[in-house]
Amino acid sequence: MSFARFIIKRSLQGIFVVWGVVTVVFLLRFSTPGDPITFIAPLDASPELRQRIAEELGLNQPLYVQYFDYLTGLLTGDMGYSYISGTEAATRIFARVPATVELAVAATVVAIVISIPLGVISATRRHEPADYAATTFSLAGISTPNFWLGIMLVLVFAVQLNFLPTSRRPVGIVQAVEVLVLSGNYAGIVLWLQHITLPAITLGTYFTALVTRLTRSGMLDELGKSYVDAARAKGLPETLVRYKHALRNTLIPVITVLGLQLGTLIGGAVITEAVFAWPGLGTLVINSINTRDWPLIQGCLIVIGSSFVFVNIAVDALYAYVNPQVVYD
Amino acid sequence: MVSPRTWRNLRRELRGSALAKIGIVLVLAIILVAVFAPFLAPYDPYQQDLGNSQVPPLGFSTTENETRSEMVNGSIEVVEEEVTVNATLAHPLGTDALGRDMLSRTIYGARTSLLVGVFGTMLAVLIGVTVGLTAGYYGGRVDDGLMRMSDIMLAFPSLVLAIALIGLFGGVTIRIPDPFVVLGLAPEMPPNIVLPGTVVLVVALVNWVWFARVARGEALSLRNEEYVKAARALGASDGSIVARHILPNSITPILVLATIQVAAIILLESSLSYLGFSGANLSWGLDIAQGRDYLASAWWIASIPGVAIVFAVIGVNLVGDWLRDALDPGIEGEGGV
Repeated sequence: MSFARFIIKRSLQGIFVVWGVVTVVFLLRFSTPGDPITFIAPLDASPELRQRIAEELGLNQPLYVQYFDYLTGLLTGDMGYSYISGTEAATRIFARVPATVELAVAATVVAIVISIPLGVISATRRHEPADYAATTFSLAGISTPNFWLGIMLVLVFAVQLNFLPTSRRPVGIVQAVEVLVLSGNYAGIVLWLQHITLPAITLGTYFTALVTRLTRSGMLDELGKSYVDAARAKGLPETLVRYKHALRNTLIPVITVLGLQLGTLIGGAVITEAVFAWPGLGTLVINSINTRDWPLIQGCLIVIGSSFVFVNIAVDALYAYVNPQVVYD
Repeated sequence: MVSPRTWRNLRRELRGSALAKIGIVLVLAIILVAVFAPFLAPYDPYQQDLGNSQVPPLGFSTTENETRSEMVNGSIEVVEEEVTVNATLAHPLGTDALGRDMLSRTIYGARTSLLVGVFGTMLAVLIGVTVGLTAGYYGGRVDDGLMRMSDIMLAFPSLVLAIALIGLFGGVTIRIPDPFVVLGLAPEMPPNIVLPGTVVLVVALVNWVWFARVARGEALSLRNEEYVKAARALGASDGSIVARHILPNSITPILVLATIQVAAIILLESSLSYLGFSGANLSWGLDIAQGRDYLASAWWIASIPGVAIVFAVIGVNLVGDWLRDALDPGIEGEGGV
């Protein structure tokens, strides 16, 4: 099968999965206890008022009609209106996306920048103190709940040292860069960096630890292979052998695992946002669940689920592209 | 099911690995603490003592008459502490904002984490192995259908799905009478063990897919083995072939995955409790959430339960690494929050 056909096939499967996600999310509302109207209507609302609210929101229609309406709405980008604020759900949700993406990307950058050198050092100095330090760090890193790590970072760097802010996101990277470009004022960038540092470390630590482990064991495998001996025998400098040959082959499985762990990254982002009052999708989904704001809950879950599906396809494609040995099936 | 060779591998791997020994010690310690909590805890973990709130742990004291400014929501507020509170032997790990003994709460918290970890994993194994073996053994349409279903499950990040399910269904708890209290051995302790039932259900619902995938892979590779064909030729039913030939031979990878999943589920439970969704009123995650508001005055309330979680999860992860290295089932570790 060619690369193009592989991409098309995976995308079609992806669309099927997204349809499944939409259906499950839609059915979730009808399988959970509690009538949404009790959450929207005032406590002393008359039955007539409740009836009118139900009609206005289309909740009196049969299930399949509501399902069909919801699906056709989604195709035109309409996710309904928030029960609580009356604003468009899609607008509210997409306004939150940049904050979450920013946090996830920052955490991934932190993870990659720290973990790959750490894993290489650990593998090339096996059984030396540096290796033990890196191994201990990565074991602790994968075993620490990230919300607790976040609170401990706040305790040390914000409460005790008064060095970084405890929470919130006063400015996004896009606005900060805009200000820098238009007026040459870098205060926005500084403010952004101050606020994203602790959340990014909180979210990134698990991945730093995981990738350190993977890089270490991958490098150890590769360094034991005969092509490495051959490269050394023909007189290549050790740096070239390690970084050009061994590390390159190590990174292929690392990419796969990072793709598989994307769900963990998104889940981690939700709780990290909760710790730092970060105004992303995570805090929105938690608030919407607490208020039973169904259009927002459904919209958030669909956005999270489908972006997860399609990023996974992108990772698969990247993997197939990087690794010529992949067999498309 | 566990052959002598397996035992030999386990022992050999254990001898060579200090980490595996540390893991076993940590896991045994947590199990003992959880089981014998009523004897080990000096106080009832729910018992409040407002006159003795925010007592620091041994070796620390809260500083007296300290004023400092602190950024709160962008404005500067002056925080003042007027009393000196010294640590006391009566509360070695201090007390929380309601004067409850941190040591007792940490000891009892082990029960919640362990119960959810073990029961949640067992339920996930039950669902996942049933689905996986069915899909792998029958193949074809059944397999396609079940695997597409698992794809949909995997499209939701597990924590997000867990939050959605538990937030919507609510945190239902099950009260199990504590046998030691029933027998009158620890009469002053809480009479019930509170098991967060929805949490167990939800963590199983978001984690069964991993077991389904592993079990399916095993069933696919085993169903065409000679001995399976022989059993079929002898007229054995599908159920008995799966139960007597396929399942016993897939135990190893499932066991290794289950160990790793206990760690992941303990982390998931603590996250759900931290967010206040679990319904349990005694959990490490919940204590961390409560301590979050007292970081400036009582750092230990949020810190101590976190240390307990880290030790428990490191222990289980080390045991998981040991089993994986010794039994080599060819699966990669997955889990965590």
